Amino acid sequence: MLLPVFTLKLRHKISPRMVAVGRYDGTHPCLAAATQAGKVADGASAMVLGTLGDIPSPLAIIGGNCALQGFDHAGNDLFWTVTGDNVHSLALCDFDGDGKKESEDFDIRVFKEDEIVAEMTETEIITSLCPMYGSRFGYALSNGTVGVYDKTARYWRIKSKNHAMSIHAFDLNSDGVCELITGWSNGKVDARSDRTGEVIFKDNFSSAVAGVVEGDYRMDGHVQLICCSVDGEIRGYLPGTAEMRGNLLDTSIEQDLIRELSQKKQNLLLELRNYEENAKAESSSPLNEADGHRGIIPANTKLHTALSVNLGNETQAAHAELCISTSNDTIIRAVLIFAEGIFLGESHVVHPSIHNLSSSIRVPITPPKDVPVDLHLKTFVGYRCSTQFHVFELTRQLPRFSMYALTSPDSASKPLSYVNFTIAERAQRVVMWLNQNFLLPEDTNIQNAPFQVCFTSLRNGGQLYIKIKLSGEITVNTDDIDLAGDVIQSMASFFAIEDLQVEAEFPVYFEELRKVLVKVDEYHSVHQKLSADMADNSNLIRSLLVRAEDARLMRDMKTMKSRYMELYDLNKDLLNGYKIRCNNHTELLGNLKAVNQAIQRAGRLRVGKPKNQVITACRDAIRSNNINMLFRIMRVGTASS
Amino acid sequence: MDLNLNRADYLQVGVTSQKTMKLLPASRRRATQKVVVGDHDGVVMCFGMKKGEAVTVFKTLPGQKIARLELGGVLNTPQEKVFVAAGSEIRGFTKRGKQFLSFETNLTESIKAMYISGSDLFLSASYIYNHYCDCKDQHYYLSGDKINDIICLPVERLPRITPVLACQDRVLRVLQGSDVTYEIEVPGPPTVLALHNGNGGDSGEDLMFGTSDGKLGLIQITTSKPIHKWEIGNEKKRGGILCVDNFDIVGDGVKDLLVGRDDGMVEVYSFDNANEPVLRFDQALSESVTSIQGGCVGKDGYDEIVVSTYSGWVTGLTTEPIHKESGPGEELKINQEMQNKISSLRSELEHLQLKVLQEREKYQQSSQSSKAKSAVPSFSINDKFTLNKDDASYSLTLEVQTAIDNVLIQSDVPIDLLDVDKNSAVVSFSSCDSESNDNFLLATYRCQANTTRLELKIRSIEGQYGTLQAYVTPRIQPKTCQVRQYLIKPLSLHQRTHVIDHDRPMNTLTLTGQFSFAEVHSWVVFCLPEVPEKPPAGECVTFYFQNTFLDTQLESTYKKGEGIFKSDNISTISILKDVLSKEATKRKINLNISYEINEVSVKHTLKLIHPKLEYQLLLAKKVQLIDALKELQVHEGNTNFLIPEYRCILEEADHLQEEYKKQPAHLERLYGMITDLFIDKFKFKGTNVKTKVPLLLEILDSYDQNALIAFFDAA
Repeated sequence: MLLPVFTLKLRHKISPRMVAVGRYDGTHPCLAAATQAGKVADGASAMVLGTLGDIPSPLAIIGGNCALQGFDHAGNDLFWTVTGDNVHSLALCDFDGDGKKESEDFDIRVFKEDEIVAEMTETEIITSLCPMYGSRFGYALSNGTVGVYDKTARYWRIKSKNHAMSIHAFDLNSDGVCELITGWSNGKVDARSDRTGEVIFKDNFSSAVAGVVEGDYRMDGHVQLICCSVDGEIRGYLPGTAEMRGNLLDTSIEQDLIRELSQKKQNLLLELRNYEENAKAESSSPLNEADGHRGIIPANTKLHTALSVNLGNETQAAHAELCISTSNDTIIRAVLIFAEGIFLGESHVVHPSIHNLSSSIRVPITPPKDVPVDLHLKTFVGYRCSTQFHVFELTRQLPRFSMYALTSPDSASKPLSYVNFTIAERAQRVVMWLNQNFLLPEDTNIQNAPFQVCFTSLRNGGQLYIKIKLSGEITVNTDDIDLAGDVIQSMASFFAIEDLQVEAEFPVYFEELRKVLVKVDEYHSVHQKLSADMADNSNLIRSLLVRAEDARLMRDMKTMKSRYMELYDLNKDLLNGYKIRCNNHTELLGNLKAVNQAIQRAGRLRVGKPKNQVITACRDAIRSNNINMLFRIMRVGTASS
Repeated sequence: MDLNLNRADYLQVGVTSQKTMKLLPASRRRATQKVVVGDHDGVVMCFGMKKGEAVTVFKTLPGQKIARLELGGVLNTPQEKVFVAAGSEIRGFTKRGKQFLSFETNLTESIKAMYISGSDLFLSASYIYNHYCDCKDQHYYLSGDKINDIICLPVERLPRITPVLACQDRVLRVLQGSDVTYEIEVPGPPTVLALHNGNGGDSGEDLMFGTSDGKLGLIQITTSKPIHKWEIGNEKKRGGILCVDNFDIVGDGVKDLLVGRDDGMVEVYSFDNANEPVLRFDQALSESVTSIQGGCVGKDGYDEIVVSTYSGWVTGLTTEPIHKESGPGEELKINQEMQNKISSLRSELEHLQLKVLQEREKYQQSSQSSKAKSAVPSFSINDKFTLNKDDASYSLTLEVQTAIDNVLIQSDVPIDLLDVDKNSAVVSFSSCDSESNDNFLLATYRCQANTTRLELKIRSIEGQYGTLQAYVTPRIQPKTCQVRQYLIKPLSLHQRTHVIDHDRPMNTLTLTGQFSFAEVHSWVVFCLPEVPEKPPAGECVTFYFQNTFLDTQLESTYKKGEGIFKSDNISTISILKDVLSKEATKRKINLNISYEINEVSVKHTLKLIHPKLEYQLLLAKKVQLIDALKELQVHEGNTNFLIPEYRCILEEADHLQEEYKKQPAHLERLYGMITDLFIDKFKFKGTNVKTKVPLLLEILDSYDQNALIAFFDAA
C-alpha cells in the first residue's frame, strides 16, 4: 500500500492543467500552480524545452496556431514547420531521436527535426502527450481515452466516462520503467503499467485533478510524484520500495487472483450449462410459438451485411447505407453500432418500433471525414414476442471514401482544379485501390487503362474525377484541396510510394488564399495603428490624473470632478479600443491559421521528400513576402522554375 | 477503537436470494462455525473452512430455486436444523444433511418469505400469509400489498404469538391469529425484518426493519400500539437494505448492528450510551449483499462478518489480520496454502476450458444443419426500479451474475438520463428518429471489465407515460441479451402514503359509468405507481398519494361504477382526466367524467411551491457569486471588507455548491410545473392560454410570489 508522503491544502482553486514544478531561486523547488485563469500568450498553446536533432543548444519549442517554432536561449528562431491544425500538446521523445507534437484535428504527428516521419490518427481531440520509456509515449484524448504508443503502434488504450486531465510518466513501483500516471476529472489518480495498461496503483481526490508533476519537493534527494486537485489539495507520493515488489494496492494479489480464477470458472460453467440447455432444447419438438418467446431461433440463422451508397430523396440527404438482414423469418430487434468518430457519441442505435420489425434493417451512415472506420455491429436477433435475443457480433470496415457515389463521367462539368502525377503501377492495381476505398456498385466493370471514373460527393455534391492514362499518369480533378490530398495520401500508402512530386492547380482556393494574405497585411497595419493609439491614450491618462490630483490638492472640486469625468471617458475609450484590438487579433489569428493550413495542404498533396521541400519553400516565400513565388511552389512543388 | 476488517473469499455458489445464508451455531464461543447456503439452482450447501480450504459437509441435489433459508429447532436448544423454502415446498435438513422434512404447502404461489420458531412455521407468498403449527394450517391472512418479509416476536419471551408482516405499501402489519391488530407506517417499503439483538431486545418486543430506499429503524411492538425508538435515514444515498444481523464485532460487550445493502455496502453500527446507533465501519463489495451474519468461520478465535452476495460469493470480513507478526515460517505456510488453492483452481480451469471448447465446436457445427435450433441461454437479472423521494427521480439498478458487456436503454417517452457517480460505464447517446420508431431515448452503456451491477438515474415528467426498456447483454458465450421493461406511469412522481391533510382545498374528478371494480382498479394501477396489481378485497377502496416533488396530494376512492379522485393540484387532476378518458375509449367503455375545480387550490399549490422556488433561486444566485467572491478574497487577502451576507456565502461555499450539484435542473422542473399548472387551470375553464406562457416565464424570471399569484388570477 502506497500512502501519500505529504498532503497539504491550498485554500484556492487550481486551474486544470496549470501546474508545474520549478526552481525559482535556483535551489528550492517550488510548486507553481495557476490559481486563476491564466492568460495564454498569443498563439502559443504548448511549449516544451529540449535539444532537437543536430542543433546543439537547448530550444524552447512553441506549438501554436498551426505552426511549430523553436527558439534558442537568445531568442533566435532556429526551427519552424507547419502542422494541420492548432497544436495542443508537445512532447519530446526518442522516436529515433526526434521531437514530436500533436494537434487538434485528432492526429499525432511525429517530426524528426522539421520533417514529419509519422502520423497517427486518433478519434478525438488529443489533449496531452508524455514521453515514457524509449520510443514509447502516452497520450490522452478529450473523450476520456488514455493509452500508450510505441512508435506508431498502439500498445493499449482504455476509455473511461471521465476525462483525463493530466498524464505523466513516473516510475512509481521502482522497477526501472515509467508508469503512465493519469489524473482524472472525477478526482481519481491511477498508475498504469506502460506495457499492459493494468492498474498498479490508484488514489482518490474529492475533486477533479488539476495536474500531475514530479519533483524533489521535500528536498531530501528523492523525487516525488505530486498530484494537485482543482480544489487546491496537493498530495505527494514516494516511489514504492523494492520490498513491496510492485504490490501497491492493499488487497493481496493472491486473493484477487483467486477471485479472478473463480469468476472465470463460474463463467465457463455457465457457458457449459448454456450448451447443455441448448442441446436439450434441440432434442425437443420443432420450433413453436413458445420457443420464439424464449428466444430460440433456427441454428442456421445467418446475418448478411452490405454497404452501399444511397443517393437519398427529398426527405433524406444522401448517405452511405449499411443493410443488415437475417437469412430466415427471424427479426432484428435492434442494432448497436460501435464506431469511433462518425457518430455523436461512440455508438449508434437503431431500434424500430414494435410494428415495424422486420428481418432487415437499413442504417444510414454519414461519416463526417474521409477516414476508414471499423464498424462493430451488435445485432439482436429473435422473434417478435421474444424477451431474449441472440446477439450477433461482427465487424465491417467502412471504406475511406464511402461518401462518394459513382456517377457517369460525362454528366457534370469537370472541376477546373486538378492535381497531376505519375505513378509506376498497372491500371489493375489502381482499380483495386478504387474497390478498396470507394463503395462501388457490384456490377461496376472498369476496363483497362486509359480510363476515367467520376464520383459525386454526398456531402456537398462536388465532383471528383480520376483519370489514368496508359503512361501511368493520373489526373485527379476536384475543387476540394483536402480531398485531393486525401486521395494522394491514400494512394501513396496503398502503393507504398515513398516520394511523389505532384503538379497542382486550384484557382479558386489560391484566389481565396491571396485575399487572406492581403487581409493579414491589413490586420497587421491596423494592429500597429491601434497600439500607437493606445500609447497616446495612456500618456493622456497620466497627465489627466496629475491634473485631477492637483485640482484636489488645491481644493478646486469642480475642476477635479470634470477631470475625473474626462478620465472616465478616456478609460471607456481605452476599453473599447482594447475590444477592437482583441477582435482584430482574433481575426488575424484566424487568417494566419488559414495561411498555415494552406501550406500544410500544399504539403499533403505531395509525398515524402517533395512534401518537405514544399513546406520549407513556402515558409521561405512567406518570409520574403513573395506571394507569387508561394503560389508557384504550391502549383509545381519547387521554388526554381 | 478503529474497526479493521479484512476480506476473505470462501466459496462461490449459484445466484442467491435474500436471506439464504446462515451460520450453524458453534459448539463453544469463537469456535469455527459451518456455513449453510441455498442458491437459485436449488442446492443447499453446508461447508466449513479448514486451513483456508472450503470443506463441504453436505450438498443437496439441484431443484427449485431457494427463496429463503432459516435455522430452527426445539425452543431453548441450539437452533441447528436447516429449513429451506423452494417453490411451495418447505424442506428440513439436519446439520449433517439428512432430510427429515418435506412439507408441500397448499399455497398456489411460490413462497417468498419464511420464519421459524419452534414448531411454528410462518410463511408468505406474494399476498398470502399462512401460519402452520406442526405443519397444520392455523391462520391465514390476505394482505393488501406484496409481503416482503415476515417475522414473529419471540414466543418464548412473550405470552402471545405476534407475527409481523413487512408489506410493500410502506406498512408493517401486526397480526393476531388471522386478523390485523394494527398497522405501522414506516418511511419506505420495508424489505427486511429482524428481532433487535436477535431476541427482541429488553422487552422482547423490539423489532428492526430495513427499507428498500435504505432506511433503518427500530420499533417496539406492544400489544396495543407501536413505539418508534430510532430511525437512520439514508443521507449518503446508499442502496436498499437486504439483510441485517446483530453481532458484537467491535468487542465491547454490546451487540452491534450489521447491515447489508443492495449496492454492495456492508455497514456496522454500534450503539452509544443512549442506545442510538453510530456508524463504525463500512466496506463496499461489488454486488448486492443478500445475507449477513456475524460469527466465526475462517479461523478459531477471530470474529468476522460473513456475507453472501447476489452472484453467490460467500465472503468473510474478518478481524484476523492478513499480515501476522509471527515467525517467518508461518507466513510461508499461509502462502503455500494459497499457492495450492491457486494451482488447483488453475488445473480445474484448464479442464473446463477444454470441455467448453469441445462444446463450442459442437455448437458451431449445429449451426450448419437446417433443422437444429439455437436456444438463448437464460441468465437472471436482479433489477430494481424505484422512485427516490429526495430528488423525485427514478433509479434503475441492474445486476447480473456475470460481468455485463453493454446495456441499451430505450424509451418511448421523453425522459432524462442522469449521470450516477458510482457507475463507471461509458455512456453514449444515439440520435433517434422519434416520429417513425417511437424512440425518445436511445443510449448505450458500455461497461468496464468486471462490472456486474449498473445503476442509472432517470427523471420523468408527469403526464408523459410509456415504457422504458433495458436490453442487457452480459459477457458470456453464446452472446445473448435480455429485455426488461419498466413502466413510466402518467403520475410517475407520486408515492403511496397513508395519511393526508384533509383541510387542503381540493379539486375533484368523478367518474361514473358501467365499469367493474377490477376495471377501475386496473386504471388506477395504470396511472399511479406503488398500487398492488391485484384488486384489493372489499367493495370500496381508498388510496392516498403524495407528489414527491411538490408535496401535493391525491386521494383516490373507487368502487364498482364510481371513482372519485381528489387533489389539491389541478395538474394532477388534468392528467388523470386525460389518461382515464383515453383508456376508457380504448376499451370502449362509456365514462361520465365530471370535475369540480376549486379556484383556491391554485393559490394553495403556488404557495406550496413558493418556498422551494425561493430556495432554489437564492441558491442559484449564491452559487453564481461564489467564484467572484473568491477572486475578491484572493485580491484583498481577507474577507473583512465584505458584508456579512457575502462572507457567509464564502464560508458555506462548498456546501452550497454541493447542494446545487445535487439538484440539477431543479429550477427548470419547478418552472415546468408552474407552467403546467397555469395551462391546466385555464384548460378546465375552456380557454387556451398557451400564448401567454412566455409572459409567465418572464414573471418567473423576476420571481415574486404576489406577482405570480396576481398573474394567475388576472389571465
